[in-house]
Amino acid sequence: MPEMSLKDSIITSLSAQEPWPDNVKLFQPYEVEQILLPDNASCLAVQAFLKMCNLPFEVEMRWNAEFMSPSGRVPFIKCGAFVVSELEPIVQFAANKGVSLCSKLSTEERAEMRAYMSLITNVLVNAELYISWVDQDTYNTVTRIRNSSVYPWPLGWIQTRSKRNAVIKRLKALHWYDKTLEQVLADVEQCCNSLSQRLGDKDYFFGTPTELDALVFGHVFTIITTRLPCRKLADTVRRHVSLVALAKRVDEQYFKRA
Amino acid sequence: MGTVHAKAQADNVSTVGGLFELDEPDTLEVAIPKPTIKLNGVRARVDRVHVDGLSRTKDDIVRSAVDELFHATDFEDVILKAHKARRSLDSLGCFKDIGVYIDVSSGPGSTPEGLEVTFQVRELSRIVGGINTTVSENEGNLVLGVRLPNVAGRGERVSAEYSVGHRSSSNFSVAATKPFPKSALEPVVTTSVYQQNHEYPWSGYRLLDRGVLLDVAFRTSPATKHNLQWEGTVRDASVLSKTTSFKVRESSGPVLKSVIRHIVTVDHRDEAIFPTHGTRVQFSSELAGLGGGVANIKTELQAEANKEIVPGVVVQLTGAAGVLHDVFGTEIPELFYLGGPATIRGFQQRGAGPHCDGLATGGTMYWASGLHLYTPLPFQPGKGGLGELFRSHLFLNGGCLAHPEEKTQAIIESLSSVRVSCGAGVALRLGRVARVELNYCFPLRAAAGDAPAPGIQLGVSAHFL
Repeated sequence: MPEMSLKDSIITSLSAQEPWPDNVKLFQPYEVEQILLPDNASCLAVQAFLKMCNLPFEVEMRWNAEFMSPSGRVPFIKCGAFVVSELEPIVQFAANKGVSLCSKLSTEERAEMRAYMSLITNVLVNAELYISWVDQDTYNTVTRIRNSSVYPWPLGWIQTRSKRNAVIKRLKALHWYDKTLEQVLADVEQCCNSLSQRLGDKDYFFGTPTELDALVFGHVFTIITTRLPCRKLADTVRRHVSLVALAKRVDEQYFKRA
Repeated sequence: MGTVHAKAQADNVSTVGGLFELDEPDTLEVAIPKPTIKLNGVRARVDRVHVDGLSRTKDDIVRSAVDELFHATDFEDVILKAHKARRSLDSLGCFKDIGVYIDVSSGPGSTPEGLEVTFQVRELSRIVGGINTTVSENEGNLVLGVRLPNVAGRGERVSAEYSVGHRSSSNFSVAATKPFPKSALEPVVTTSVYQQNHEYPWSGYRLLDRGVLLDVAFRTSPATKHNLQWEGTVRDASVLSKTTSFKVRESSGPVLKSVIRHIVTVDHRDEAIFPTHGTRVQFSSELAGLGGGVANIKTELQAEANKEIVPGVVVQLTGAAGVLHDVFGTEIPELFYLGGPATIRGFQQRGAGPHCDGLATGGTMYWASGLHLYTPLPFQPGKGGLGELFRSHLFLNGGCLAHPEEKTQAIIESLSSVRVSCGAGVALRLGRVARVELNYCFPLRAAAGDAPAPGIQLGVSAHFL
């Protein structure tokens, strides 16, 4: 169980002010056989953010990355004695070390950026969870198999079942579970609309790359490149050409596989 | 004729001090007046056996328990066999108390030398429940227990226990036991399902175990007990805090483990707690890896020898050793740990052996031993009563734990870097299963990285080294 005490957070913020070490590792699940759509999106977003900041790191894949993470979610980074998980705390952690992408932004722009980031977590993440765990086709042919691939029988079945229950509980609390696939896609459409309107014809949302660009890249790139039986989500996102172009731009600039 | 009151010891160990034991195991010995007539000269045979008070216990198991009485030829034999029958009735676990009455037989079909033996039994109630609270080092618990003795009339038992802690951890166990008193070796089969939460602050992790345990227990001789077990568990490990060492963090996550285990115990001691003479050896071997994500072989040996040198003064020598061979997937919770009030006193719990960032990370090989001198309390207060629950003791402990990643040469080296501690203290017996020790300890030798704890140390355990 993830647990965070006041003492821990004080220690983290006090002693985190040393410079970025060289041996930082990013932990995530196995990309080829294990990782699921929502996790892949957030792992990619964190990787993009770290690359945008020019902070060196190494990716390490572990079957139990999710359980090693202090918050129970992937990815997390290990920086010296510290473990920090998920994009926003990592952004905060880097800012404590004096590395920030939004230092030139005004207060209003920062607030705007936060709003768009929470829009993505509220819509795209939930839509990804919905597609992976609630859509029967995707669940049976992809999610179930990938999630249980690292466990021996019957643990895989138990783990997948309990994780599915947890996701459904979360979606129910957010009133997403009762939605139909069409309603989910309509929400995604609306989210992409407001994102592409904000982006306009600029290269990045605020001129220079920020964590918002990293987050958009993570989700858009994952959604359009992951093969799922339900292609409607990818099709919906692909219709927003400017967002796809942004994803390609980030991919080429920071993830050159040359 | 007379009434024979007898009560067998709960564990059926070989009896000392006469044919009949005492009414209450806790009261002191009362001299039994020896009969002056030679009983084996009196010819007798048993005509009838009555068992009074049976309601749900099935006849067949009672009949097989008393059957032997009919083969008695003289009066002494009748008494001996009546006692034996009484014991086997008691070991069925169906009766609260059993009285034996022997009388001359009368009425039709009686023979001149005939006797009638009557067993007056009281069956255990159908349901026994309990509620109590326990306090461990991290948490207070409320424990609810229910037991159904003799459910189906042949000594079957079902027991369930549920405990909730104030930190919202819940443990439960349900166990069903069935004895087979008529088969060879009299096996007892137990099936249990459990969920257990455990915190190990010395190693920085918490375990949630959910599993199934099948156990077959049988005896090949009165002192030799075997347990054959299969255990399937899902062990969910998680770290205790954000600052826990990364080495411990790496082993978090759910793991499925399937283990076959054989435990053989040879116990020649006169008492489980504070014995005055005798030895006990327990050897357990386990094989994990038939299914599941962990494969290893683990063997452990525990031995103990006691000798009374002067009346009331007992020397005890104990030893333990274990080897774990990892094939794959063996993580920190599987390993051996040493140190603490129940093993090497004078060290913190798990305080001897490899540490990483102040957390014990365990080893794959260990040996440990202890030398004790037990005496009654100084000046013997409460002699013959409360004072019998206490012993004072002097001890010397030694042992060693080897690091899992080391090579053969290094293992030999680290197995010889002995930790030694000595001290004195008072031990208190809790029932017949556990004891409490309050000791003042002096760690004499520690290795780098160990966590010695000189001074006063309190320990509660069923097994002490």
